[in-house]
Amino acid sequence: MATFMNLESQYPSVDDARLAQQARADPEAFAELYRRHVWSIYRYHLAHTGDVKDAEDLTSQTFMAALEGIRSYRGTGPYITWLIGIASRKRARFFQRRGSRPEVPLDAALHLPTPGLPTDKAASRRLQMDQILGALRNISRDRAEALILCFFGGLNFVEAGLVLGKSEAAVKMLISRGLQDLRTRTSLALEVDYE
Amino acid sequence: MNKDVLDQIPADEQPVAYKLDSLVEDMQLSPTFQWELETQLMDAAKRKTRPGQGWHTKIIPAVGWAILALCAVFLLNWSIRSLAPNWTRAAGGTSEPQISFEDNVRQANICTGPLALAHGFAVFLTNQDKTGFVMLDEQKTIGELRSFAWSTDGRQLAIVGNTTGRGTIYLTDSAGNTLQPVLSDSELGYLMDMTWSHDGKQFLMWSIENNSIIYLLNVDGTGLVEKQLDVQMFATPQFGPDNESIIFYGADSSSAGLFEVMLDSSQARMISARVEDESGYALSPDGSRLAYVEMDRELGEARIVSEEMATGGKDVIAILPILKGSGSSLPESANLSWSSDGKTLVFDFGRGATDRAVYLAYVDSTGLIKVADSGHAPAISADGRCLAYISNKQVFLMDLSSTPSNSAPTPVLLTDLPAGRAIADFRLDKLQWRPGTLP
Repeated sequence: MATFMNLESQYPSVDDARLAQQARADPEAFAELYRRHVWSIYRYHLAHTGDVKDAEDLTSQTFMAALEGIRSYRGTGPYITWLIGIASRKRARFFQRRGSRPEVPLDAALHLPTPGLPTDKAASRRLQMDQILGALRNISRDRAEALILCFFGGLNFVEAGLVLGKSEAAVKMLISRGLQDLRTRTSLALEVDYE
Repeated sequence: MNKDVLDQIPADEQPVAYKLDSLVEDMQLSPTFQWELETQLMDAAKRKTRPGQGWHTKIIPAVGWAILALCAVFLLNWSIRSLAPNWTRAAGGTSEPQISFEDNVRQANICTGPLALAHGFAVFLTNQDKTGFVMLDEQKTIGELRSFAWSTDGRQLAIVGNTTGRGTIYLTDSAGNTLQPVLSDSELGYLMDMTWSHDGKQFLMWSIENNSIIYLLNVDGTGLVEKQLDVQMFATPQFGPDNESIIFYGADSSSAGLFEVMLDSSQARMISARVEDESGYALSPDGSRLAYVEMDRELGEARIVSEEMATGGKDVIAILPILKGSGSSLPESANLSWSSDGKTLVFDFGRGATDRAVYLAYVDSTGLIKVADSGHAPAISADGRCLAYISNKQVFLMDLSSTPSNSAPTPVLLTDLPAGRAIADFRLDKLQWRPGTLP
């Protein structure tokens, strides 16, 4: 979390809902919201598309749409769930345009930048993530979506429940079952580094 | 992921969770991309909040347009009122007054049999006088009731339910009195869609666990057969003519589209690469024709096509304009279905839930009518008299017996959409009248 997270925020203690209200008239407030959530949205899209360029494109589209529609955010739920709602619609249109959920070619799928890691370690991690993204496409959609929302999107169980229309307990169950699925389908990927 | 959240995960799964979290943390976002996007957003935000673009300067043209629209509506209303009596007489006075249509429906003189509804992960049937919907399995013991399909004779309703990722198929009688599991606690995984064979003896279904496999099952729950396909299935399989093939939206190694796969040989053929939507196709009641919506992005046309299954001969029934090119704002077609006499098609067409219109197309290419500006999940009753659709959280009916060739009759409110079990995408909403002529 390099550049942006190191910037000194003008709004260190202002919550998202209040920032979203200010963002209707204050571009800086929207920029702060962007900095807080760009990683979540990017990782959410990357988990779904498996392609950096597509994820960046969808992240742009999501924030542009959020800026256009910021007045429609009423503050009745967490801002991140509203943003994920936009991201979800952008993703749906993306896959419709491409012909539903295509299999992403393995060699083209992941060019995940992992600066700071030695080359062999970075390559190993790419391979592991590749397996996980592949497995996510082959488990129940509910479980995959819950995992993506919580692990990639950074949502807590309550927020993921709001997005999925399920209770917190149901999301915990989905996460637990989804992790079981990943353990069985990506055992190598996940157990290599057990210590 | 927050450590407090990770710690709420069951201890057995925590090593996997921590490992996954660590891998996700390594997914770095390019600083260049971040800066560029932030710059773009700031520019856009500044343009948006520029004083000249304040609310008062925006609202003036809007108020102007609103006044203009009101005048237009007033003029149109006046014109229709002055012309309507003459039009009714000219048509032979066959259309019934609106109240008679509604009474006829509620007294089960027309559009008999229940209307089934899938909404919010629950399945409902209309009550006897069609004043409301009754949820099947009110004890909520079954899990997410995902979808349903009537048998061709209308005597049974099959329902697909899923509990924690495992699918079950239930059967109930046409009144929804008993729910009997046919395929219990399935090892097949999360079941998506199912359909009946034309002879009512078999189910065809598929699971999200592996979308290159379809399953055939006898209606009594025996004889489960698994068939491997060379084509991936994305949605809505249907039996082809004589139950010898299946038709579905899917993809082979090169492209997505509408496919037909022979059940005996698994031989696949692409019917159309221009079909882009998951429920934008349907086989006619007699199995002789397949209707589908093709998106031609070069010409900017969505074509409603009827293809003869035996010869492959195509007729374009109607055309709707779409944007040219590969933009993301293309509308989708959904819930295409035939009337039981095979003369008309209905479907919804649009983008979101609110900007999606319901269309009725005459198969002989004599007309395409937008019957509702905002609606989805249309369905025609077995007697062809009623068109039901969902709009703004309500279910409406339209009298098709008086539908002129270029305009739609006034809809009648059937009832409010009931609350489901959880919020589901509106695309999962489905209406289907009981087929056949049962009392």
